Amino acid sequence: MQIPGYYEFCNKVKTVSGHNALDKLPEMLASVNSVKPLIITDKGVNGAGLIEPVKKALGTKVKSGGVYDDVPADSDVKTIKDIAAKYRAAKCDSIIAVGGGSVLDTAKGVNILVSENSDNLMNFVGFGALKRRLKPLIAVPTTSGTGSEMTLVAVIADHERDVKMLFPSLFLLPDFAVLDSRMTKTLPAALTAFTAMDAMTHACEAYTCLSKNPLSDSTAVMAIKLISDNIMQGVKKPGDMEARLALANASALAGMSFSNSMVGMIHAIGHSIGAICHVPHGVCMSVLLPYGLEYNLHKTGLLTGELLFPLKGEEAYNSAKAEERPLLTIRAIREMNSELRKATGGKHPTCLKEIVDRDGNMMVPREVLSDIAHLSLNDGAMVYNPEDLDYNDALMVLEKAWEGEPLDRKKIRKGKQTSLVKVKD
Amino acid sequence: MMNINKYPEIKSGSKLIKKIYVAVMLWIVGRAIQAASRVDREVKEEFGRLSDDFMMHLHVLPSGPGMIVGKDKNGKVRYMGWNPKGKKITLDMKVKNIEGAILMFTFQESTCVASANNRLAVSGNVPDTMAFIRILNIVETYLLPKIITSLAVKRYPKWSQMSPLRKYAGRVLVYVRTFTF
Ligand SMILES: NC(=O)c1ccc[n+]([C@@H]2O[C@H](COP(=O)([O-])OP(=O)(O)OC[C@H]3O[C@@H](n4cnc5c(N)ncnc54)[C@H](O)[C@@H]3O)[C@@H](O)[C@H]2O)c1
Ligand SMILES: [Fe+2]
Repeated sequence: MQIPGYYEFCNKVKTVSGHNALDKLPEMLASVNSVKPLIITDKGVNGAGLIEPVKKALGTKVKSGGVYDDVPADSDVKTIKDIAAKYRAAKCDSIIAVGGGSVLDTAKGVNILVSENSDNLMNFVGFGALKRRLKPLIAVPTTSGTGSEMTLVAVIADHERDVKMLFPSLFLLPDFAVLDSRMTKTLPAALTAFTAMDAMTHACEAYTCLSKNPLSDSTAVMAIKLISDNIMQGVKKPGDMEARLALANASALAGMSFSNSMVGMIHAIGHSIGAICHVPHGVCMSVLLPYGLEYNLHKTGLLTGELLFPLKGEEAYNSAKAEERPLLTIRAIREMNSELRKATGGKHPTCLKEIVDRDGNMMVPREVLSDIAHLSLNDGAMVYNPEDLDYNDALMVLEKAWEGEPLDRKKIRKGKQTSLVKVKD
Repeated sequence: MMNINKYPEIKSGSKLIKKIYVAVMLWIVGRAIQAASRVDREVKEEFGRLSDDFMMHLHVLPSGPGMIVGKDKNGKVRYMGWNPKGKKITLDMKVKNIEGAILMFTFQESTCVASANNRLAVSGNVPDTMAFIRILNIVETYLLPKIITSLAVKRYPKWSQMSPLRKYAGRVLVYVRTFTF
């Protein structure tokens, strides 16, 4: 493999993983001299009874500064301001975030405000805006998808302006990540499926996009292996604690990977579908993953082919010719989506037109594809995609993903072919 | 560091030449952006979507050269020289060293794909950054000798009609690292 002439990799999150990992909470808090943590979560997580084991772990030794459970999906600047006020009023000195990506990213936002003693998150948008250490943050993920517990970025929505903002800074890396299988046991099948596919996408994009490096590669490959070995079990047998712990580890590994290598067009387009149609992030990822890999094949065919190994195992990998592997990888992912659709009773979509809300209404009408294509060109993740996309390219991908048809690879406008294996159109 | 001890004169001499080359290229690119904003529909539209106080500073660390392009009081896009003093920069793009700048302005894509990391540090919002990268991409097609002549005809070739040269060279994207840590 080719080693980049220069790269950086940083992950300084102390990770505690196990079936009872939460029990270490008091020690973690003591190690950062915290006596009064604020617990941030959302209604779904609280309703699933997941704050109980946290409180139990804190025991009588640590007095919590309260539980805030009003975090909306995708977090929100206004909520973050409210929580920061609560943190100050209760004189807290650290944050325990218990939830999915929405909660973890909210907690990162709150941490910015309380550490910088500010009321305006906008002052910290953009790169290099944070200059010093923040308050201690303990991340307890309850979905196995975003990997936010391992990433240096917070994705925070401003619902008034309908935009999602990125806050990237090394200071946003949590101090601790607690991977406890009990915390994802209650995750419904459909959520287990699409959040795991979010993690899968992180790993696949990290491995194939421009800022890949040996450290991000190895974490990505391990993440893919753990997900493909455990995703069906996690979806079909929610109580399988081994599978739960494996998926939690996979998501953390994938987070570690993409936090250091970034993601590409799948996330760029996915963020835009999320912003315009309010489709959950993981759902967009599940549908778009095969399309992103397909679009970039002439640049990254070899790399995509290599992913057949962690996806399907040694035998499948060895019995395929190098030129066949890339398309087999993509096929394996499409099959995984179809299987998940079956296993979730049709809740897991395989194309954009299948995405429906609670009442069965289509969430991504065909008419909005053009707006989505425009918006995705302004997403920072496009920078790391191996091949360029302009508006027409993005629209073509979206139209195919809407119908659920593979890309017509002859129609892709290809730059220089850099893949060492040539994949037939 | 090692090289400096080994080849003191050559190193500093070549560095100066590199700086001059990059300074000239920045001047050309800056003027070209101004020109393109008048004649190229897509560049015009991209600038139209940027805010009225848009002011971009592209410069090489630690001590230049650099160039500034922004909108003036009347909303016209102008090349504004190299001195950021007294200007409110809304998009600050720093090439981390002169070697990075040379790779960028000699259009050596393949070398850069291998080292996509950390060429450029940007502060400013992401949509503005992406828009400006697209503008640079378009303007670059003008800067390649064959195409320079087509400046007057108000059209630049679309990607599909582009010569292989454009496909090699047009990707400033690669040199950008949007996130700085
Ligand atoms: N920071 C990053 O690195 C990063 C990366 C990718 C995505 N994101 C962001 O993360 C967000 C998505 O996060 P997510 O996919 O984890 O979903 P989420 O946090 O929005 O949670 C989805 C739903 O699942 C419920 N839930 C969560 N855990 C549960 C459990 N164990 N049992 C029962 N219900 C549970 C929640 O209450 C919520 O209703 C998006 O806003 C996305 O932009 C961030
Ligand atoms: Fe993601």
